[in-house]
Amino acid sequence: MIKMLTACGAGVNSSHQIKDAVEAEMKKRGYQVSVEAIQIKDLNPETMKGVQIFLPINKPDLSFDVTVPEIDAGAILYRMPAMAAPVYDKIEDTIKKNHLS
Amino acid sequence: MQTIIHFANVVFKPIIDLGAAPVMLIVLTLIAWALGVKFFRALEGGIRLAIALTGISAIINILTTTYQPALTAFVKSTGIQLSITDVGWAPLATITWGSPYTLFFLLLMVLLNVGMLLLKWTNTLDVDIFDIWHISFTALMAIYFGANFWVATALIILIGALKIINSDLMKPTFNDLLHNNDNPMTTTHLNYMMNPVIMLLDKIYDLFFRWLDRFDFDSAKLNEKIGFWGSNFAIGCYLGIFIGLVGQQGVEQIFTLSFTGGVCLQLFSLIGSWFIKAVEPLSQGVTDLANKHLKGRKLNIGLDWPFIAGRSEMWAAANVLAPILLLEALVLPGNHILPLGGIIAMGVTPALLVVTRGRIIRMIVIGAVELPIFLWAGTLSAPFITSVAKSVGAFPAGVKGGTMIAESTKEGPIEQFLAYAVGKSSTGEIKFVLYAIIGLAAYCLIFWWYARQMKKRNAIYAKELADNKD
Repeated sequence: MIKMLTACGAGVNSSHQIKDAVEAEMKKRGYQVSVEAIQIKDLNPETMKGVQIFLPINKPDLSFDVTVPEIDAGAILYRMPAMAAPVYDKIEDTIKKNHLS
Repeated sequence: MQTIIHFANVVFKPIIDLGAAPVMLIVLTLIAWALGVKFFRALEGGIRLAIALTGISAIINILTTTYQPALTAFVKSTGIQLSITDVGWAPLATITWGSPYTLFFLLLMVLLNVGMLLLKWTNTLDVDIFDIWHISFTALMAIYFGANFWVATALIILIGALKIINSDLMKPTFNDLLHNNDNPMTTTHLNYMMNPVIMLLDKIYDLFFRWLDRFDFDSAKLNEKIGFWGSNFAIGCYLGIFIGLVGQQGVEQIFTLSFTGGVCLQLFSLIGSWFIKAVEPLSQGVTDLANKHLKGRKLNIGLDWPFIAGRSEMWAAANVLAPILLLEALVLPGNHILPLGGIIAMGVTPALLVVTRGRIIRMIVIGAVELPIFLWAGTLSAPFITSVAKSVGAFPAGVKGGTMIAESTKEGPIEQFLAYAVGKSSTGEIKFVLYAIIGLAAYCLIFWWYARQMKKRNAIYAKELADNKD
């Protein structure tokens, strides 16, 4: 199971859209992934523990360095398959390149 | 004609009598299905909405029944009339989505958006279907206070159109805040309709407090220091202790209040995510349909506000404003809400971020000055919210009369005042007719002034962009 994390304002809307879309698409592509969706102000080194790919919306300013691959997943929110596809491709590339499982 | 009415009564009356949750299950499923969503996907949304409605009622019930004795004792011992329970945004959104009118207003807003796109009045396609509830809330509030259905509809068409124009005006600022000029993200969220007022306050700030700007600090660091104290459950806990203490409750009762507060605030946001999922099939259906008819045009896309939630100033300002809000609530004449669920003012700080472009001291000072508007609007809307909650069955029957719910930092406070004035003016009382006319004129005028300021700002952005390309 590949563990990812996404975050948005209240941890209920945008981040859940990303979570559902990434989990569904990656399953289609044959990967076992689980995406956690949280409120961005709860993001800290502790919540990042065990996370293999970080999927923020744009680039958040954080007080710590993110050490895992970071892929901007904002384009998923446009609800247009053609615009979301590059995000999924990048996630798949990252999984392959880093041999994540 | 009589036969039709009789027939409609026979068919619809029993369905409506089932209550809000079953009605919305049926209505949402049918509408999503009609928009081309697969039947079972549409049904999934319908069931999720019914469950979210039922869940939110259960928690409002827990919160109000636990807090009411302490709040009443607090009012009695201090004489401070803070008897309205602040439930935060999730219950308000859920009960608004529990009204069938919301689907009609949604349809209207989609038509308005597509119409404005075709006329080239805007470049933004709004895909944030879920947040239509803010518009519906405004219209329902106007109706509650006496407005005719069509008058309320006209009011939200005006607000809806300005909201969409505002999303175009803000677009270059979002690019600046995101350090990214190549993205279609913008938003039509109602919280940004405070921008004109904030901009006015910002100009005043420029005149008198400019010297404060040099005290700006690193907001990411502050947020790190605040840590878990800013999370939902922690806020629920210490506000429970606070209310218990001022309500002169016993130790056992204070613990109960504290943990119940934590549970409720945590569960409100969890259930919030249920009904966002419930509206998801409908959102995708509407977006697909709109995309099909707008082929080939490069558009900006209106999202929910949090695509800028990565800016740490937003949270730093919300964290600092929370205790200020509590203090203001205690001393503000005419306020009857004790901040609880809405104390982290997510409906307030995004607009501050956009207007000040992240100057944290300005955000805090202007925020503190404008918070009373939110408290008064919340107090004003409490009877309306309580009545809608009762009508969709989301309000506990056991609580004594006079108990009310509201949100201390609900987005669009100015729009709530307008809804109230427009509603009341429909009764024909000349005082309210005047209020409504003056209010609407001032609303449009200040927006017009704000639009001019934003166009000046955007011209500078455009010039910078052109210079960088050279």
